[in-house]
Amino acid sequence: MSFGYNFKKITVVQPAKEFIDSTLSKTQRKTPTVIHKHLPISRIRGFYLRKVKYTQQNFHDRLEMMLTEFPRLEDIHPFYSDLMGVLYDRDHYKLALGQISTAKHLIDAVARDYARLLKFGDSLYRCKLLKTAALGRMCTIVKRQKANLEYLEEVRQHLSRLPSIDPTARTLLLAGFPNVGKSSLINLLTRADVEVQPYAFTTKSLYIGHMDYKYLKWQVIDTPGILDHELEERNTIEWQSVTALAHLKAAIVYIVDISEQCGTPIETQIALFKKIKPLFANKPVCVMLNKIDITPFEQLTPENQEMINDFLKTEGVKFYKTSNVSKEGIMDMRNAACDELLVQRVEAKLRGRQADNILNRVYVAQPKSRDEVDRPSVIPGNAPQLREEADARPKIRTERDIELELDDEYMLDLRKTWDLKNAEEAADAIPEIWEGKNITDFVDPDIMTKLAALEAEEEERAKSGFYDLGGEMDSDDEEIRDLAKVIRRKRKIRKLEERVDRAPIGRAALPRKNDKQLETNMQDLGLGEHIQRGRGNYKESIHRGRSVARKRMKHNDGDAMEVDGDSGSVTRSKSRNRSQSHVRGPARNQSGVRPEEVGKAEKLRKKAQKNINQDSRRGEADRRFLDKKPKHLFSGKRGNGTTDRR
Amino acid sequence: MPQNEHIEQHIRRHGRRLNYLEKKRKKEGRAAHDRSKKAKKMIGLKAKLYNKERRKEKIEMKKKILMHEKRDTKQKAEETQEGAMPHYLLDRENQQRAKVLSNMVKQKRKEKAGKWDVPLPKVRAQAEAEVFKMMSSGKRKKKAWKRMVTKVCFVPEDFTRKNPKYERFIRPMAMRFKKAHVTHPELKATFCLPIIGVKKNPSSPMFTSLGVITKGTVLEVNISELGLVTQGGKVVWGKYAQVTNNPENDGCINAVLLV
Ligand SMILES: Nc1nc2c(ncn2[C@@H]2O[C@H](COP(=O)(O)OP(=O)(O)O)[C@@H](O)[C@H]2O)c(=O)[nH]1
Ligand SMILES: [Mg+2]
Repeated sequence: MSFGYNFKKITVVQPAKEFIDSTLSKTQRKTPTVIHKHLPISRIRGFYLRKVKYTQQNFHDRLEMMLTEFPRLEDIHPFYSDLMGVLYDRDHYKLALGQISTAKHLIDAVARDYARLLKFGDSLYRCKLLKTAALGRMCTIVKRQKANLEYLEEVRQHLSRLPSIDPTARTLLLAGFPNVGKSSLINLLTRADVEVQPYAFTTKSLYIGHMDYKYLKWQVIDTPGILDHELEERNTIEWQSVTALAHLKAAIVYIVDISEQCGTPIETQIALFKKIKPLFANKPVCVMLNKIDITPFEQLTPENQEMINDFLKTEGVKFYKTSNVSKEGIMDMRNAACDELLVQRVEAKLRGRQADNILNRVYVAQPKSRDEVDRPSVIPGNAPQLREEADARPKIRTERDIELELDDEYMLDLRKTWDLKNAEEAADAIPEIWEGKNITDFVDPDIMTKLAALEAEEEERAKSGFYDLGGEMDSDDEEIRDLAKVIRRKRKIRKLEERVDRAPIGRAALPRKNDKQLETNMQDLGLGEHIQRGRGNYKESIHRGRSVARKRMKHNDGDAMEVDGDSGSVTRSKSRNRSQSHVRGPARNQSGVRPEEVGKAEKLRKKAQKNINQDSRRGEADRRFLDKKPKHLFSGKRGNGTTDRR
Repeated sequence: MPQNEHIEQHIRRHGRRLNYLEKKRKKEGRAAHDRSKKAKKMIGLKAKLYNKERRKEKIEMKKKILMHEKRDTKQKAEETQEGAMPHYLLDRENQQRAKVLSNMVKQKRKEKAGKWDVPLPKVRAQAEAEVFKMMSSGKRKKKAWKRMVTKVCFVPEDFTRKNPKYERFIRPMAMRFKKAHVTHPELKATFCLPIIGVKKNPSSPMFTSLGVITKGTVLEVNISELGLVTQGGKVVWGKYAQVTNNPENDGCINAVLLV
């Protein structure tokens, strides 16, 4: 809806019992449920306090939502305000919302009181009883709103089905006695599908339909019939019409049934028009003298004719003789009514302040004449002659022309344009199978020759090298291709391997120790240098290992006493033990395990780790802070005295 | 665009789905099965609530069935016996009368017995430790002569506190009550009446003077709202009422008027 209200989006209002049940159940679900009497009393109090507060909050929120979502009669357009007042009884509606608001405040007050009492609860038992009492009282308050909640739900359902009438849009408003043909008219003008029946009060509420006129959107509103009696005696159904007539700035179409088929004499219909005329003030009014297909104007009794002639003299009102059945006069009436309303709206807009704002910005340039030379538009001399010739030429009869001519009988027949040897064969039925053969296979008589020709052409092309790629591949390309092939294969294998021995989630994709593996992999591919060049620390690591000197030392094992001074390498006497740092025992995961068991141990370890790795849980190896700010180090102020406590 | 009663209109125009009635009938037929399945599956609080509700429904149903059955079967009209009644039956009714009479006499006697014949003749005594919470005071929090009342109290309007430093008994604001829900036993109606004072707390005279309200306490309430009149024609405004609940547990005071 463009006009700012959305009555369709109001949340469902639960009946009191369900409301209570769902709220209590929510409290049960969303607050802690386990408490023991030996726990500190502050915790017990908190536990029950939370339940009380949570319940109150839920009740409060739901009631508050009702109050905000249901439209306030003062805030909406007077049309809607009055319509709702008529349909739902203004006082009842306001009272219901007011009581809901009171209930909300009462619930808040109960929660506040019991929260205060809970603070002095000295046992689990007492706190529990207080909580029970608090929730009970809140529920009682809601239970008392039973009737209001039911009423509001009904209002909500009805509101959501109200037609979405935009009170400020361009509108045609149909009015008149029951059974005069208002609903038939709206069905004619728009796509609204309003019930039409030959008895009064078929239409019991407002209906809306939309139509286009002059490239603008218009809404047409069908109203229930109005009877000719005093305002006070009108019922709810008629009041809706009156509300629409009073509040909508629309073109009014007042329908008079001159055939008197509707059961109301013309006199009464005219009297009603005069009675409700004050509602039409400042609005364009059209009067439709309807159902002339039954009784044309001329066949009316002389008194009636005279009466209508008198009526026709009414000032500022246009009259149309129409019929919904033969559709005569309908479009004239509609166009005139729309035009009149448009003029009025534009005038109103011009009078308003907004128009000035726009007009100030609009500037219409008037070109000044440059010189005195007259420059009329040029029409070629033979133009009239050409035009005549064109007219004289026989017109081509298009299918569209034929369609318009034949109207309902028209059938699109494409066969008549077929170019056949015998023109009369065009209408013949075409069999699917003929002499045991599917005729679609032989649609083209020389399909075989055509196919042969195509194939020959294709061959020719292939021969002339049409499909060859541009030029030969040079050796460089070939090399790249081969390499790519190898890489692809390797990658596939790696993928499979990876699937077998899956790295746990959360570990780096390429741990450092795998660098070696990567390197060998790359070297296998002949790409070793790339990686060495690429990463600085790599170059070193490849050369690391035992120094040459050490190797030589091993070599010289025999003459241990010899100390070679000038070699520059580190040597040491055999008598000295190797320092401990160099001793490297077996890996930690292998120590204490028999060599043949190593594989099994590894397997077991992996199994134990599996669960932790799978959901990336924190393991014992992870870095952690048990307490970022240890209480004993940060609490208390150190006075001048003792230092035994911090 | 659906508007107003579009659903009813559609049904009126096109009718319902062809199997609508059959489906409805079947659904109704299966309803008992579905319900029992649901009842069997539910556990815990939900089951408890559901079964309670269902039990009530069943009782209603049974009652209704019984009523219908009763209406269907012909009730024998009470035969009035002709002639004189046998003399052994004669005193039946008289006896009943006598019972009523004796009851009335007893009632009268009871009423006369005195106004301290209260509805709750015996109440549990409240220990002091239960009513008072010890508060420590002083700079080092080592003094322990202050007490806080943990039960509901009545504090008169004109009460002025002592200097907080020297106040021995603290009656917290949250526990102070001004109104009580008083039931008139003969009118069978309950009114929310202002309390005038605590007449007697049976546990201890000290509680009485402090205005502590526990179960069985006798209050004086302002009943001018009820518009009761004495035999002399004066409006009664103060009357006694006995507390019938544990106000500290319920968050409200319920009392019976002593008439
Ligand atoms: N012959 C004839 N019948 C009409 C015409 N307009 C409406 N009716 C009939 O009048 C009856 C009442 O029409 P309806 O549109 O429901 O009137 P409403 O109560 O004003 O909405 C229906 O049976 C229509 O078929 C008309 O122009 N000519
Ligand atoms: Mg109608």
